[in-house]
Amino acid sequence: MTRQEFLAGLDDAVSLPVGTLQGSEQLEDLENWDSMAMVSFIALADSHNGKQLSVKQIGQCKTVAELLQLAQVEE
Amino acid sequence: MHASIAGIEYVLPEQALTTASLAAEFPDWDVEKIDSKTGIHTRPVAAPDQCASDLAELAARKLFERGLVKPEEVDFVLFCTQTPDHFLPPSACLLQHRLGIPVTAGAFDFNLGSSGYVYGLGLAEGLIATGQATTILLLTGDTYSKFIHPKDKSVRTIFGDSGTATLVRAVEQPALGPFLYGTDGRGGPNLTVPAGAMRQPHSPETAREYGDDSGNVRSLDNLYMNGAEIFTFTLQAVPASVNGLLAKAGLTADEIDLFVFHQPNRYMLEHLRKKMKLPAEKVPVTIEHCANTVSGSVPIVLKHAGLDGKLQPGSRILLAGFGVGYSWGATLLRWNQLATV
Repeated sequence: MTRQEFLAGLDDAVSLPVGTLQGSEQLEDLENWDSMAMVSFIALADSHNGKQLSVKQIGQCKTVAELLQLAQVEE
Repeated sequence: MHASIAGIEYVLPEQALTTASLAAEFPDWDVEKIDSKTGIHTRPVAAPDQCASDLAELAARKLFERGLVKPEEVDFVLFCTQTPDHFLPPSACLLQHRLGIPVTAGAFDFNLGSSGYVYGLGLAEGLIATGQATTILLLTGDTYSKFIHPKDKSVRTIFGDSGTATLVRAVEQPALGPFLYGTDGRGGPNLTVPAGAMRQPHSPETAREYGDDSGNVRSLDNLYMNGAEIFTFTLQAVPASVNGLLAKAGLTADEIDLFVFHQPNRYMLEHLRKKMKLPAEKVPVTIEHCANTVSGSVPIVLKHAGLDGKLQPGSRILLAGFGVGYSWGATLLRWNQLATV
């Protein structure tokens, strides 16, 4: 999965039009970054490389870029 | 002798919580999004005076009314529930009396959630194979709705109440197994009703409401689910148990005709199906009108698979349940000439 595809998946997870998220966004500013979106992110990361993330690690992320880093999505 | 399923019935309460009524209650919430992700449109909710045992009793009576078995033939009652009538006596004992089952029958409750049906079949196989029983009523029933705070959207959207009854009879040829079980109690706090039993009895303090980051409200007396942690557990446990069971049976996924999984929600099921590279037609989803019924979900899917003509003599069906505990279990079911839903 490319970075663009991963971001498109995250757009969908937080109910934004595809192409909205770029990486620098603060998670606390995303209205729909909730438990359902977190589940979608876990699924995206699993589909990307089979990496299973800990919920604690996800909770420590402050930005979209940190989520991408955690999921090991290449720049 | 061995255990074989010889009939399945289920009952949903008449009252239901629809997505439309959730949308009316929470106008600022994207209920349609939740609806499309969970795949759940209707959540059956037990009446205030209706217990899990009442639903299981109705399901058992449907088996009797079909003439599949008479109450006097039953020599064991297994009741899987996490919402019994009382701390004691066991609801299974009350059901023995209410259903007119002989006093010579054995009966007990066992407390499991979504893995419960597989465990129940395992218990039934053990009882029959060792000559302790021949005709077993395997009942499941739960009313999680009674634990759910009305302002907790995270669980109110997911769970539904139900009762199921499965007739298990002794047959000569093995129809169930092998079995694979798993337990990881570290996950206990991720799906729990923390208070109300002995560890933390109900008190004004446990009834105190608190809010979470998503605006949900609950108290320690209510059901709490950490959905992200449960999903993470599921991603690890389900493929591992399916692959482990197939290895134990010396089979490949291609040799399985149907995969009947517990139904947490459509999104999780779809992701698991794709992760395990299983074709959609082999993984039925029956969640739209009954929601996540915990231990009821596997027999409900099995019932519908039978009604849809997907269970034929010789069919190999893989059953897998996973959830609260954490607890998981999987088994293979060989549909035979005697088997019916």
